Parts: sequence; structure tokens; C-alpha cells
Amino acid sequence: MSEASNGQAIVELKGVTKSYTRGKEEVHVLDNLDLDVMKGAFEAFMGPSGSGKSTLLNLIAGLDQATSGQVKVAGQQLTQLSDGQLAKFRSSTLGFIFQQYNLLPVLNALDNVELPLLLTNLGSSERKKRAQTALRVVGLEDRMTHFPRQLSGGQEQRVAIARAIVNDPQIIVADEPTGDLDRKSADEILTLLGTLNKDFGKTILMVTHDPLAAERATVVHKLDKGRLVR
Amino acid sequence: MTLIGLGARNAFRNPFRTGLTVVGVAVAILAFVLLRTVITSWNIASEVAAKDRIATRHKLSFVVPLPKRYVDTIREVKGVQAVTWANWFGGKDARNPDAFFATMMVDAKTFLDVYDEMVVPPEQKARWLEDRQGALVGSSLARQLNLKVGDRFTLTGTIFPGEWVLNIDGIYTATRKSIDQSSLFFHWDYVNESLPSDRRDNVGWVVSRIDEPGIGPDVSAAIDKIFDQYDQQTLTMSERALNLSFMGMFSAIIKAIDIVSIIILLILVMILANTIAMGVRERTSEYGALRALGFMPSHIRIFILGESATLGLVAGVAGVGLAVPLVNGGLSRFIEENMGGMFPYFRVDTTTTLQALGLALVLGLASGVVPAIQAGKLSVVNALRRIE
Repeated sequence: MSEASNGQAIVELKGVTKSYTRGKEEVHVLDNLDLDVMKGAFEAFMGPSGSGKSTLLNLIAGLDQATSGQVKVAGQQLTQLSDGQLAKFRSSTLGFIFQQYNLLPVLNALDNVELPLLLTNLGSSERKKRAQTALRVVGLEDRMTHFPRQLSGGQEQRVAIARAIVNDPQIIVADEPTGDLDRKSADEILTLLGTLNKDFGKTILMVTHDPLAAERATVVHKLDKGRLVR
Repeated sequence: MTLIGLGARNAFRNPFRTGLTVVGVAVAILAFVLLRTVITSWNIASEVAAKDRIATRHKLSFVVPLPKRYVDTIREVKGVQAVTWANWFGGKDARNPDAFFATMMVDAKTFLDVYDEMVVPPEQKARWLEDRQGALVGSSLARQLNLKVGDRFTLTGTIFPGEWVLNIDGIYTATRKSIDQSSLFFHWDYVNESLPSDRRDNVGWVVSRIDEPGIGPDVSAAIDKIFDQYDQQTLTMSERALNLSFMGMFSAIIKAIDIVSIIILLILVMILANTIAMGVRERTSEYGALRALGFMPSHIRIFILGESATLGLVAGVAGVGLAVPLVNGGLSRFIEENMGGMFPYFRVDTTTTLQALGLALVLGLASGVVPAIQAGKLSVVNALRRIE
């Protein structure tokens, strides 16, 4: 359980199984997995390739559906939500950070950060204001009009983090956020995630292969063959 | 920033590919505009017909002749001021059989009275009326064939076989577009007298000048009623209708142009669809990221359709931007001077312009439909996995 926990689980997984068929063979990616993550925690998931850590993150983020079991996140039973409801859930509750940033190259930093706010009823000026604030939080107030190609990898990931926090989500889901970065940039990103966790109270769930990155988390889960082995 | 605006920005993400696509579609639009202008201009040829002239032809077809004696009967009908007649000769320049121009044998004595918009200098007119082998040549055709008054010119007959030697007695111009300046007219008598008796004294059509345009339908009905009792019935119509029935002979060409236009549009859709599909395939992971952020499949479809519509419209504007100055600025003068009979007013009109732009937009949208549907169906996880 996280040190930052206030005793209230924000993620509850019970008996979660995820499997799919490859040809005639049934592949079990997650096997009867139980997990609680407390609100305000910073938890890392580690394990070899194919251990199911990204699949677990996808189920928690509402990007995929469990084959069986219950996935409850921020009070919502995700297994009971339609695709449309899941999309709304993601936009209001979650912030995403991807290994390869996934910024839109045709948009500058400010517009990339504003992107999730297009799904809200906010007016243009309010959207801009919030995007500027998010970029200030990640220390890129002087790069707002820069396009992704004009930024370093670390700066791109910081823009992605600004995009992840712009609509003030409860949970930030980070899939290998430092996987494409050099050590220095990776440390900066991990420090930033730590700040978001400690100072802004965001619950952070991070998949990583990097032991140094995992050290920043308050809890490290290890997965192997679809089971938690910590 | 808006959702459609975002889609539009994607259209210019790969400038080289977008540039090639725009050029390809613009050329297709240019070809489309040219072909539509041919058809429009062709139709205008019938629109510029004189309103105070009616034409009588055989009821069966334009190509079946009428007895010449009908001319005298028509002349007596109330409301008819003047009458003339003509036959389509279908001759070719003996020196250059591939050159196409209209050749008609006409009644010289009455022809210029009925077609009073033709301008022939008085001395040339007098000479033509006197000369059984005389011919009047339109100013455009004279330039095209390098003919001048006093030249001798040989026509090879197709409907009336043989070599027909003519004297160029006059070069006409016209005060209205109702008569083109790329035709050749010569004496009906010259051919008629040379024909065997069973082919003699037949006319292709009879043209009457009437007292006023408004009485055209009544006079036409009166003429046809007279000949209802005869072996060979007539069909009398406005000059515009006659021109249209004459152009009906070219309906196969018009149909072919229409088919080519459709093929061009299909090519246009394929060029656009290929570009859109490539772009969508390359951006699959981005669509996955957008879906993860909470965007719905409908948003992804809007992005893609916005992109394809933008591309279509930009290419349409480029194509029209090429076609209008090319046609209206240069080609029109050449075509009107040299092929004025068929294309008296060869210009890209507003309707064709709007058609081209509208089609470019609609087909641009259409070319994005399949990629948009496919992208909307992508699972978020599979789409995101494309980056790994």
C-alpha cells in the first residue's frame, strides 16, 4: 500500500483475467489478478516483456476490457461501461503519458496540451489559459509556440505530461514514460511525476523496465506470467 | 483550434505527397473543366440561334431530304417573310481531307436574305450571285485554310461523290453568333444540276424568316399541317431546335465526353483516397492516443473527413485556377475563331466552375469515407501498439 494513501482505494481489481486466442491456442495474459491502489499513490509495475503489465495498465485505464473479474476505478465499474462511457471516463478521470509521447506534429506545444480540453464545454480563451498553466507546471512556459520537432525528447515528454494534467485528472497512467529518454531527461521527468504525486495529489500508475524509475515509486509491483509476484 | 481545423492541418503534414496529390487532382479537374466547357459551349451553339427563323425538315430525320417544291408551298404560308433552303454537303478539302469544316449547298438568291446577319462586301456578294461555282467562306475558315478571294478550291464530296471545284468569291463575317465564321457555302444549283434525275431537286431543310418571333409555333404548326396530307410529312421547329437536332448527330461524341468525365472523376477519387489512406495508416498510433485521451470514433472520422475535404477543395481550387485563365485567357479565342460553328462561345462558365469545386469537395469527402470508417473501428490498444 502506498505511503501517500489516505486509506481510500481508487483502483480495485478483483479476480481479473484477460485472455485471447491466438490461432487455436488460448493465451492468458492476466490470471485471476487482485490489486488495490490507494488514492494519491505512486505505484510502478515491472516485469519481463509479456508479463502483462501494459495489459494491466490498459484495463485500469479503460482502454481494454477484462475477460472476467471486476475493474473498479475512481468509483466506476469499468466492465459495465460502454465504449462511449469509457471514452468520457478517460477524458475526465485519467491523464495519459506514452513512451513515444504521441504529440501531434501539426500542433504546437500549447495546442497539443489544449487538445483534451476540446472535449469539454470550455471556451477557447479558458482552454488556452489552462493549457498555459499546465505548461508552466512542467516548466515549458517559454516553449509554448514550439512544435514537437523543435523540442528535445525530454521537452516533448514534458509537453505530454502537461497534456495529461490539463484537465486535472485523478489518475495519471504512464506507460514507459522514460523509455525513449537519456538518463538526465528521464530523471527530470521522474522528478516531475514525483511533484505531481506529492504536491498535486495525483495518483500515478507507471509501467517501466527501468529499476531507477521504479525507485521513484512508493510501491513497485512485479508481474510474471500474468500474476503479481511481489 | 477546432476538430475540423485539426483535420485540415493534417492534410498538409506531408507537403511533398500533398503537393503531388494536389497537382494530380488539379490536372484531373482541369481536364474535367475542359470537357464540360466543350459540352456547354456546344449547347450554346444552339442557344445563339436566331429567334425569327424556323426550319422545316423531313418528319423522319434530319438526314432524309424533302422535295424542293415544298419551298414554294412554305413561302405562301401566312407569317413567312422569306424562305431559303440548304443541304449538308459533307465535303472535305481535297488537299487536306483530315480538316473538318461545315460545307453546305445553299440557294444563293435567297440565302443572304434569310441569314441577314452575314456580312459580305457588296462586290463579293454580286460576284457570288453570278458565279455558279462561287463559294462564300467564313473569315475564320479562310484564315485556317489560307484562302482569299479569287482562289480556286476543290472539295471532295462524301454525300455527293466527286471533285467539286469552287471559286472563292467572298469572305463573310457575322454581326451575331447565330452564324459561325468557319463554314463554306456554295450554290445548291451547281450540285443539283450534276445529279442523276432520281437524286435531283431535293433539299435538306428549308429555313423561313417569319414576321416576328412570337408567331414561330403557329407558323410551324401551319406548315406541318399542310404537309400532313403529303407522302413526306415535315417537322418544323425553331432554329434552336434544328441546331439541337443537328447536334444530336454528335450525341455519341457527347456521350463519350461524359464517360471520359466520369473516368476522370474516378481517377480523382482514387488519387485522393490513396493519399488519405496512406496518411491514416501512418497516423494510426496518433488516433490511438487521441482515443485514449477520450476522443470518440466519431471525432476520428471528423478528423479524416476534414482532411480529405480540405485536400479535395484545395485541389479543386488549384484545378479551376489553372483552367479558367487557360481557357478564358487564351484557348477561347483560338477555338472561337477556328471552330466557331461548334463552339461559338468557348468559356468556362460559373456553373462549370461551381460544379468542379463542388465535385472536388464532395469527391474529396467521399475518398475519406472508407479510411474514416476503418480508423473509427480501430481498437485503442491495437492502434497504440503500432508505435511499439
